[in-house]
Amino acid sequence: MKNFFSLAIDGKEVKAEKGTTILEVARANKIDIPTLCYNENMNPYGGCRICMVEITKGGRRKLVTSCAYPAEEGLEVVTNNERIRKVRGMLLELLLPLADTGPIRELAEKYGVTKSRFEAKPTDCILCGLCVRYCAEVKKANAVCFTGRGTNRDISPMPEIAPDICPLCQECNSLCPGGRIVELTQDRHLLSIPISKRKTMR
Amino acid sequence: MVEKLKSASELMHLRKRIITNRDPNKSVVTICIGTGCTALGARKVVEVLGEEIKTKNLKERVEVKQTGCLGFCELGPRVIIYPEGISYFKVKPEDIPEIVSKTIIKKDVVKRLLYVDHATGESVRKLEDVPFYKDQLRLLLEKNAKIDPKNVEDYIALGGYDALAKTLFEMTPEQVVEVVKKSNLRGRGGGGFLTGRKWETTRNAPGESKYVIANCDEGDPGAFMDRSIVEGNPHSVIEGLMIGAYAIRAHEGFIYVREEYPLAVENVNIALKQAQEYGLLGENILGSGFNFTIRVHRGAGAFVSGESSALISAIEGTVGEPKPKYVHAAIKGLWGKPTCLNNVKTWAYVPLIILKGADWFRSIGTKNSSGTAIFSLVGKVNNTGLVEVPMGITLRSLIYKIGGGIKDGKKFKAVQTGGPSGGFIPEQYLDTPVDFDELSKVGSMMGSGGMIVMDEDTCIVDVTRYYADFLSDESCGKCVPCREGLKQIVGILNRICAGSGREEDLKTLYDLSELLRDASLCALGSTAANPVTTSSLYFRDEYEEHIRKKRCPSKVCRDLIAYYIRPESCQACMICLRNCAVKAISGEKSIVHVIDQEKCVKCGMCIEVCPFDAIEILSPAVPPTASYGIKVALTKRRK
Amino acid sequence: MKCSRGRKKPFFVGLRMTKEERSILDKIEEKVGLSKSESLLKGLEILSEYYSLGLDQPPLSFELRRLEEEAIQHAEALKRIRRREDALKEIIHELRVIDQIVDRYNEDKNALIQILIDIQNRFNWISKTAVIWISERLEIPTSFIYQIATFYKFFTLTPRGRHLVRVCLGTACHVRGGPKVMEAVERTLSVKHGDVTSDGMFSLERVNCLGCCALGPVMVVDGDYHGNLKPADVGKVLSKYS
Repeated sequence: MKNFFSLAIDGKEVKAEKGTTILEVARANKIDIPTLCYNENMNPYGGCRICMVEITKGGRRKLVTSCAYPAEEGLEVVTNNERIRKVRGMLLELLLPLADTGPIRELAEKYGVTKSRFEAKPTDCILCGLCVRYCAEVKKANAVCFTGRGTNRDISPMPEIAPDICPLCQECNSLCPGGRIVELTQDRHLLSIPISKRKTMR
Repeated sequence: MVEKLKSASELMHLRKRIITNRDPNKSVVTICIGTGCTALGARKVVEVLGEEIKTKNLKERVEVKQTGCLGFCELGPRVIIYPEGISYFKVKPEDIPEIVSKTIIKKDVVKRLLYVDHATGESVRKLEDVPFYKDQLRLLLEKNAKIDPKNVEDYIALGGYDALAKTLFEMTPEQVVEVVKKSNLRGRGGGGFLTGRKWETTRNAPGESKYVIANCDEGDPGAFMDRSIVEGNPHSVIEGLMIGAYAIRAHEGFIYVREEYPLAVENVNIALKQAQEYGLLGENILGSGFNFTIRVHRGAGAFVSGESSALISAIEGTVGEPKPKYVHAAIKGLWGKPTCLNNVKTWAYVPLIILKGADWFRSIGTKNSSGTAIFSLVGKVNNTGLVEVPMGITLRSLIYKIGGGIKDGKKFKAVQTGGPSGGFIPEQYLDTPVDFDELSKVGSMMGSGGMIVMDEDTCIVDVTRYYADFLSDESCGKCVPCREGLKQIVGILNRICAGSGREEDLKTLYDLSELLRDASLCALGSTAANPVTTSSLYFRDEYEEHIRKKRCPSKVCRDLIAYYIRPESCQACMICLRNCAVKAISGEKSIVHVIDQEKCVKCGMCIEVCPFDAIEILSPAVPPTASYGIKVALTKRRK
Repeated sequence: MKCSRGRKKPFFVGLRMTKEERSILDKIEEKVGLSKSESLLKGLEILSEYYSLGLDQPPLSFELRRLEEEAIQHAEALKRIRRREDALKEIIHELRVIDQIVDRYNEDKNALIQILIDIQNRFNWISKTAVIWISERLEIPTSFIYQIATFYKFFTLTPRGRHLVRVCLGTACHVRGGPKVMEAVERTLSVKHGDVTSDGMFSLERVNCLGCCALGPVMVVDGDYHGNLKPADVGKVLSKYS
């Protein structure tokens, strides 16, 4: 079988097909790597950094995002060690104040992060981009987009225009890990409800 | 209408024609109208000079050339009169009649406009003798004094486009790559990657369409080298880009200029148009059969877009956010095609290397960093501006010899290299030679060349906070470590500077720095930790003073200082009272003035205007309790 | 509130048309050969002529009404209350200029940022109408344009003041007292950076390095650079622009 090669994940030799990422290979082999912003129907985003793994290539070790890094012949991958646990713990400590919900809380507990040093600012949104990318890549409706930059980064529909574009499919609901996208109560666009007027938590 | 040049010999003939048409005895007055000198009124000087020449009927004998930046902006406007090479600084429009009558006509000097060497007290006539310029080796910048960027013939007259002719007619693409590899040229954008190797990878990457890009998105605050090159000598970049394109087999190039540099955008567009007219760009360049076009892409105000993958995204018309760089741009870059992206300075070195050879370039600088480096030496030094020096010069030489030492005789505290991605270098490392590797060893980096000198009056915690705030503001916000991590770092540093620092803050800063370094998506995030790490390593005591004693040793952090009028020195002149923007000072004639600490916003105006040096800054912010109504002890001693 | 569920992308985003309205425009395109955008522009021109003739009840009743509302909102955003026909004329003019700019770049989608820069330079803001129009001409989703317009500092989605004041807060300027100059400007103009003065005369922005580091602190007003500034100089420099 050409286009197949082998690499090692956590000491276990696995076969991979050309053009796949480390994450895809791991999942195909039932090796668990946590993710937050990844979804198999969309292009990898690389924003949450939770899926980072340590690879050894040419004698050098570095951390890469498994959702985006292409699998290569002879690669040595470690999915969980001291360094990675520290990184994931720190990331969750930063995310918990934003959205203390289902998937995030679960991951936090798993990595021993019970509370955060940082002040809570529950925006219910970790800016994982799943809703934006789903609407753009899968539904091709582009109803919601990222706005701003850096600390001002947010998601928003373009005011007054989104009602005409949003297909009201409600499929972005189930994707949202933070809880910002809630069930529609009426024919209203999801994000048109200001955060302060909404009930958080599902 | 000019005739397009169709061969190397036509270029040579054109050059000969230009030179013979120029009268060597004609006076040429060059005035810098770069952004810096323009801010100091250079355009008015040009205007007045033009009028004076007209009224005195000297048009036949004098030519005025508006040139680009030579880097010593502080002493602008700068006027140099050739062929004698007499250099005048801080020229005002009123000085023009004297310059014309004395220097141009009588060939005599106007002494007060010459540079005075602080050490010897003597005036210096020529540019090369000015201490600021003496130890420099201005390979890239020296032509800025002699060419009008809006006139391609000036560039041609000085040998411009000869390197291109040699490349197209005497060398194969492989030979060009070999020369660049042999020269050991490393990327001047900050990464320091071997340019020759990058070219080779791009050339060998599979695919027909390839691109070359020149990065002039110089966002490092405190740096303006790229601006000076693109404003003052755009053709050097264009020529370098073309030689690279020939070597890599690319036929389209881009020059990315940030819109905050409008003069650079203007000049590069004019240069492209002229190069096209002369047959030096476009189809069948110099009759060689090689085709190459360049487009200018303007940045729209995003520092992060200077990162190579972000820049490529911006040119593609999408948001200028970095992408995970697991496949190099050299293999899959712009629109998925092999792309070679280099800083404008890197491209500008290429024509020189082609003409003078790889060995010549290697002979300058250190073993692993060849050639010169351009630094923007700014901050608390006496001579601020751009300096181009061979790699390997020590920081001490740069700051004390060329920079003229610390301003106002204050004490050196630290020098920050590499922009917001670099680190603070304290006094004990002043003898570090400047090159890519040595600077990394002490925890900083070369970066694009910014070099900020700080003295005893600079608060390191405040500057660290400034950098963290800048990076947080400019972050694209895509990845969690940078967006959330930097936000928290800024929050902590703000608290420390406001007097609410906590013991555990230093540990939290350390943890966040590690996260940034390990988990960021791009270099903005991963290097953002450098100012924090180096400052807490070398200046831990300043942090501890802020946190434990609520004291800012440099008396900068607003919430940790108090302005206090010393009753024994106050002469009750009412000047500070009148100038206080928030009316925080009370007092009257012969009654000592008192500052109301509740109202004082610490703007510094009172200290600036007090003629008796009676106001001091105290830290911690615990001034003695104010006593109103004290009578003044007159001493009449003005500062 | 209808939406485009299941339909092709609506022809003019922001307008909701009935089937009959859409078929009228289809017929116009067929018979006369004008594109849909062109027909709308022509309709607006006719509407403004109607008003200037003093006629109150134009026979054209459909989407032009909505565009008319947009035009009036647009004029109000520019702090200029006008008569209806002038508001319409203004928006038509703006749309035609945008057309010219887009044509200059050959309708190249990749040139979106360059087009937006030209529009910001020309009109001093990126209006909602501009976003809709560019989306139409370049066939780019509006949310995408919105993302670009909010990502880059150069673009503003509200009108800038008549004079643009940018104070440099780059490192060299910071170390030389830039923040105090910024405060002095904020005090003199009674505005915070990032905002416009209440009379619409000045916009104050912070810039991260203008490249004049040897002359810090530096401020640019409408393209005029002022270097070596002290807080005390600010009042004098700004008074030249009132």
